[in-house]
Amino acid sequence: MAKASKRSRDHGKNRGKARGRDRDTQRSAHDREDVGRTARQLLRAVGGGLIIGLPLLFTMEMWFHSFLLSSWKLVVLLLVTFVVVIGYSALSGFRHERTWAELLIDSVHTMGIAAIVSALALLLLGRIGPDTGIRDAVGKIALQVIPVAFGVSLAGAQLAGGGGGGGGGGGGSEDEGNDEDAQDQGSSATDGGGNLGAFARLFVGAGAALLFALNIAPTEEPMLLGIEASWWLLLAVVVASIVMTLAIVFYADFRGGRSPQGGDSILDHPLTETVAAYGVSLGVSLLLLWSFGRTDGASWSVIVGQTVMLGFVAAFGAAAGRLLVGGGAQTSGGG
Amino acid sequence: MRQNWLEWVALAVSVVAIVAVVGFLVVDGIRDAGRPPMPVVEVRLDDAYQTDAGWLVPATVGNDGDQAAEAVELVARAPVGDGSAGVEEAQVTLDYLPSGSEVDVAFGFSQRPSGDVTVTVRGLRLP
Repeated sequence: MAKASKRSRDHGKNRGKARGRDRDTQRSAHDREDVGRTARQLLRAVGGGLIIGLPLLFTMEMWFHSFLLSSWKLVVLLLVTFVVVIGYSALSGFRHERTWAELLIDSVHTMGIAAIVSALALLLLGRIGPDTGIRDAVGKIALQVIPVAFGVSLAGAQLAGGGGGGGGGGGGSEDEGNDEDAQDQGSSATDGGGNLGAFARLFVGAGAALLFALNIAPTEEPMLLGIEASWWLLLAVVVASIVMTLAIVFYADFRGGRSPQGGDSILDHPLTETVAAYGVSLGVSLLLLWSFGRTDGASWSVIVGQTVMLGFVAAFGAAAGRLLVGGGAQTSGGG
Repeated sequence: MRQNWLEWVALAVSVVAIVAVVGFLVVDGIRDAGRPPMPVVEVRLDDAYQTDAGWLVPATVGNDGDQAAEAVELVARAPVGDGSAGVEEAQVTLDYLPSGSEVDVAFGFSQRPSGDVTVTVRGLRLP
């Protein structure tokens, strides 16, 4: 975009006259291209939302929990989703600085698009129709918003063509807008520099754990596994979760994986980061189990069993999430 | 922060969608008194129809309570034929009965019910 407008400016200079009219056509061309860019962004958002959301759109338990869960639980889940979306777009935007206002608008976009995509998909699948009660329909949409919003968020950050560069179509004008914001250091949402701190990585890990475990949490399997597992089996699962995620992130040489040398923070060492990420994963599992009513009336041993079993899934999600953002951190060319 | 019209439309639609979903849930959460499931059955005897396997009497089951119910077992009783055949029982089980929603069912009898169909809830499970 910047290049295009410069070209037309030179063009205008050469002609030397009718400069005002030229500026008008320049602006309208600029707007048209801008609208095209927004349309492509929206398409990516819808596509990403569906790619991540479809497995749960086709999960029976998600439909039934829309009316089995209380409205308050749904509101809490939507709030958690919103926080994750804000955090993720703040961290993934580390390539270009953004103001808090832009960040908030982006996140509102994400949630809104997710709500509309969920509603349309549920209509298409016949899960919502003229006979559906309003509370039931709204509950179904609210639950599906969670995975779809993660997908929309990912589409905006990870799946965009060429990332921060000028690769996909009119990506350049994005940078143009952000140059102005870069001056405004005080209200900037990120520190820039492209180096994610230990807590930021942990946050992305938590979001990925939530997304990953959400695919399992509504089903009955974690409850069954938790009830039937004996204590030594659960202990083995805990050890396996920690050892496997430690190996995946630091020793398997995945793209985005990091070398075992630690940084300055306590959480920068492989073992501490892995244990911290595992703790976060267990917390996410417990939140999900509570959300889907799996902790109601359950004994402590059953709650612990379910949390550890679902935590196995969540820990892998957290590891995948840290790999996803790890590439921007210490290793760079490693993978 | 320059925005084009499509971004404004997307933002407006997004805000409306979020306010609609969250607003509805919050209002519903405030109005929710936690009343237990209240199954309400409306039998449509006039719509009864004959099949190769007896008569079916359609009915609509609603739930006036705030809580949903699972595994709702309904039993319908009605005199059939000219009355000499006595009272017959029919049974239906609903997997889920959401609050404020309606589920259509049908009770089966060997002959057309000749009197009122009375429906009772034999049991249900709370979520």
